[in-house]
Amino acid sequence: MIRPDAPVLLEIKDLHARVEDKAILKGVNLTVRAGEIHAVMGRNGSGKSTLSKVLAGHPAYTVTAGAVSYRGQDLLALDPELRARIGVFLGFQYPVEIPGVSNLEFLRVATNARRAEQGGEELDTFAFEDLVRERLNVVQMDPAFLDRSVNEGFSGGEKKRNEILQMALLEPLVAILDETDSGLDIDALRIVAGGVNQLANADNATVLITHYQRLLDAITPDYVHVMAAGRILRTGGKELALELEERGYDWVDQELAAQAPVPLEVA
Amino acid sequence: MAASLTAPMALADWTQQWLKGLPVVDGRLAAVQQRGREALAELPVPSSRQEDWRFTDLGLLAGLDGTLASSPRDAGLPPGAPGVLRLVLDGRSDPLEGVALPAGLAPLSDSELSQALGHTLAATACEHHWPVELNHAAAQQVLALRVASRSSLSLELVSTQAAGLLPLRVLLVLEEKAELELCQFASARGAGLTSLVLEAHLGRGARLNHGMVALGRNDAALLAHLAIEQEPESSATLATVAAGWGLARFEPRIRQVDGSASTTLRGLQVVDHRQVADTHSHISFSGPEGELDQLHKAVAAGQGRSVFNGAVRVPREAQRTNAAQLSRTLLLSDRARIDTKPELEIVADDVKCAHGATVSCLQTDELFYLQSRGIAADQASALLKRAFCEEVLRDLPGAARQWCRFEHLLASA
Amino acid sequence: MSTAQAVGDLVSQPYKYGFVTDIETEKIAKGLSEDVVRLISSKKQEPAFLLEFRLRAYRQWLQMQEPDWATLGYPPIDYQDIIYYAAPKQQDKKASLDEVDPKLLETFDKLGIPLSEQKRLSNVAVDAVFDSVSIATTYKEKLAEHGVIFCSISEAVKEHPELIQRYLGTVVPINDNYFAALNSAVFSDGSFVFIPKGVECPMELSTYFRINSGDTGQFERTLIVAEEGASVSYLEGCTAPMFDTNQLHAAVVELVTLDDASIKYSTVQNWYAGDENGVGGIYNFVTKRGQCRGDRSKISWTQVETGSAITWKYPSCVLQGAESVGEFYSVALTNHRQQADTGTKMIHVGPRTRSTIVSKGISAGRSANSYRGLVQIGPKAVGAKNYSQCDSMLIGDQAAANTYPYIRSQQPQAAVEHEASTCRISEDQLFYLQSRGIGFEEAVSMMVSGFCRDVFNQLPMEFAAEADKLLALKLEGSVG
Repeated sequence: MIRPDAPVLLEIKDLHARVEDKAILKGVNLTVRAGEIHAVMGRNGSGKSTLSKVLAGHPAYTVTAGAVSYRGQDLLALDPELRARIGVFLGFQYPVEIPGVSNLEFLRVATNARRAEQGGEELDTFAFEDLVRERLNVVQMDPAFLDRSVNEGFSGGEKKRNEILQMALLEPLVAILDETDSGLDIDALRIVAGGVNQLANADNATVLITHYQRLLDAITPDYVHVMAAGRILRTGGKELALELEERGYDWVDQELAAQAPVPLEVA
Repeated sequence: MAASLTAPMALADWTQQWLKGLPVVDGRLAAVQQRGREALAELPVPSSRQEDWRFTDLGLLAGLDGTLASSPRDAGLPPGAPGVLRLVLDGRSDPLEGVALPAGLAPLSDSELSQALGHTLAATACEHHWPVELNHAAAQQVLALRVASRSSLSLELVSTQAAGLLPLRVLLVLEEKAELELCQFASARGAGLTSLVLEAHLGRGARLNHGMVALGRNDAALLAHLAIEQEPESSATLATVAAGWGLARFEPRIRQVDGSASTTLRGLQVVDHRQVADTHSHISFSGPEGELDQLHKAVAAGQGRSVFNGAVRVPREAQRTNAAQLSRTLLLSDRARIDTKPELEIVADDVKCAHGATVSCLQTDELFYLQSRGIAADQASALLKRAFCEEVLRDLPGAARQWCRFEHLLASA
Repeated sequence: MSTAQAVGDLVSQPYKYGFVTDIETEKIAKGLSEDVVRLISSKKQEPAFLLEFRLRAYRQWLQMQEPDWATLGYPPIDYQDIIYYAAPKQQDKKASLDEVDPKLLETFDKLGIPLSEQKRLSNVAVDAVFDSVSIATTYKEKLAEHGVIFCSISEAVKEHPELIQRYLGTVVPINDNYFAALNSAVFSDGSFVFIPKGVECPMELSTYFRINSGDTGQFERTLIVAEEGASVSYLEGCTAPMFDTNQLHAAVVELVTLDDASIKYSTVQNWYAGDENGVGGIYNFVTKRGQCRGDRSKISWTQVETGSAITWKYPSCVLQGAESVGEFYSVALTNHRQQADTGTKMIHVGPRTRSTIVSKGISAGRSANSYRGLVQIGPKAVGAKNYSQCDSMLIGDQAAANTYPYIRSQQPQAAVEHEASTCRISEDQLFYLQSRGIGFEEAVSMMVSGFCRDVFNQLPMEFAAEADKLLALKLEGSVG
């Protein structure tokens, strides 16, 4: 929902970033207000995933220029865990498996870290179990997954549901979901999208990173951005996604080529 | 206690005997022979007090005639496939005499030989091993070949050991991107010892596919060192199958000099009666991104003894090494024994090193399953044994696969 | 700073138990001789059979060679430069804790092992050993009501000589190895536990060892016997002050289980490990062995090894009784220049014996962490089964993780299975936890403790938290 007077949650200005020696982001600009759902689309290698990693503070990426402010605060100056605690959430494209670490324990420690930041009280094991069981409904997940190690042996769909469960527990203000739809069958996609829709409200915002329309059939974006060569090339409403679906990405290349001096190499 | 103290003395006596019985130092290996004889005069024969020989008794050697064997040139093998060169190693004559080498294969010159011979033994830290020194002392011939860059060849090496000592020395230099399929057949027809030292240097991108089938008899011994140096992007596959020897010891020693190479080791040893088979493999990665895939299998029946020791060294410079070692033993008799010890030494944090070992008899539920389908018990157990061995046999290259029928294996065991 | 470096720094926290208690100590002169052995025995007013035992051991020791086969490197130990007996000056063992030197009570308070009646742990009986002597044992009376004997071994020698004579040295013979022989000659104190037939010990038993003197060797001796159908869970803890010299700790532990009995023996070892350059620390050369003599009996070793400059330790099980069970669960954390060579021996003698080995080694800094184990299946062990799992976690590229699992089998109707793997804390795993608001330290700590979970689950409830705390302590500190 677009409300011009809604507070700005996230403001990205001229963001440049590289991984190792390779420049990937080359001047990204994006403003996200409360209540909005943004979709960032683009081909593989256009820089979408890098954008999400940079926002979450992955150590392999170096910001070389630009700024990101989150509710007026310099986000880039914060360690990854602080970003999470103040309400920035990254849903991973490939959630990592962590053998031995109990999923339930992990969820509890993370939830309590977020609550402590908000001045809430720490939940003990019992109180937390009540909370987590309630939130499991958001993604229709089997409680048995709580007793397993974090993501270990989970199917692709189970991993993605576990991501949304974390989102439901941490209640972020800005959720960036990186290719949440990849590897999901149609039922899992419906459940995951349903979860995202349930969690979206007037105070928070969602940034969906995807290159297919099918996720956007289930979650309606307010804005669609097309990324190419490390920048946002075009911004429009949900109809832009449909246009992409119809015309493919070839026109992006043409548009890009027309735009000197940005080089054509795609990172 | 007393027996183990006197045994080395008795063994030492026979080494002196053997040394005396050798022909005078001569030929292109004269310097090597001299060195080996001096070393043997000093080196005590390995005994169970040394960790590397703890379970492997060399007693069988003491009773052998240590003079050079007059080995027959016919191994009773079916003729080779067209285009495949078969060389007979009899320990005495030059295996290349009267042989027209195909394009891409050339003998090493004397100066090349003096440079290259022993290099890989040193690089893999086994040049002073007792079985190697024994080979140094006794070897009369060396088969030293160079495989030219980018050529692809198949070669067969055949040896048949009669009574006495059969020393075999092989040196292979594979130039950049050279490919060699090497099938080796070693058999015994008399009480004796086959002593094999094979060195191979694999240049960048070279491929060696070595398959060895060694079928012995109760009064014969085989001591084999297979030393391989691998440059980056090279690939070495060594598959050895041994059965029927009173004593067989294999020491594959591999060094990836700069990492980034791939090594595949397959071993199958079958022991029965009072036979001993021992594999001591040693793989070191002296650079990053090396790969190892090792599978060692053993079948121990009768009063046989099977020993496996698998050392893998991953030093600090060998980041992103990916090594897997698996040892599986079938223990078929309550008088057979097995001793197995993987040895992993890792000083690099970004590596994948897994190893596993199992020892068991045939699974009763598997046997039962087969029997419940009408297969007789002995047939069922033969089927399962074959399946167990097959996992190694199928990795033998070309002709070696033909030489090593499963029936052979168990018959000679 | 790289992740690996940051993780490395994290596991390099100062030792918290490095203080020295200032207390008057009675020590004998340095050095070892037959006279010293006699002196120790007379100080402890021992019966003749024990003096004889010590002297036989001493003479054996003189003829033995210090082992050098383990992957350990250390300068030669001067056995004449060690004090073999040191005791805080107090007259005989006190009848009541009120009479114990408050400084000693304070020391144990500070170590988190309160002994006084008001503060002591409920449901855990503690024997506190300071240098060479046991200073107090709690809950003795309550245990006595159940027929359980829990006291220092010196006391047991006086009050239950027949039991000592029957069992001492029967599991670990005096000539078993160099350090066991040394221990048998000069052992000072330790704990004795006897659980009579059919008794399930009503509480956890625990011994806490504290080395205080800088030049004293510690040679404790522990003997635990569980008669038919009896069971007990026992835990030992260890700390020592920081000295820049090395102290020798050569303990012997013997366990015996008769038919249907079970002993669970847990160790949380946190001796001083030396500084980051490898100066100082304890040489921990320990012989621990249990004998499942009875059918269906069980011995389970759990160890959390975090301290000592050098550890040389293989808690073992001899599985004689039919269907007896041996277990070994181990976490070993090494850092800086620590060296640990640890593992177990499972000797399957009887039919249908079973054993399980789970070993988790964590190597950081320039340390070396070796698992060395033996699974031996004897000719009569029909139907025996072993499963072993050895995992290593490497932190930084200068630490060594070695694995030497020996398997020897002479019994076809037996199954042995061994698995091993190595892993590290990957940057992606750390980032994942961090991106959920979990701090760096806690993330590392969670992953290390997750890696060790299978072992921690085996610790008695009362101590599982202690072990977790200990690892967390080793992992605690500022980041970056």
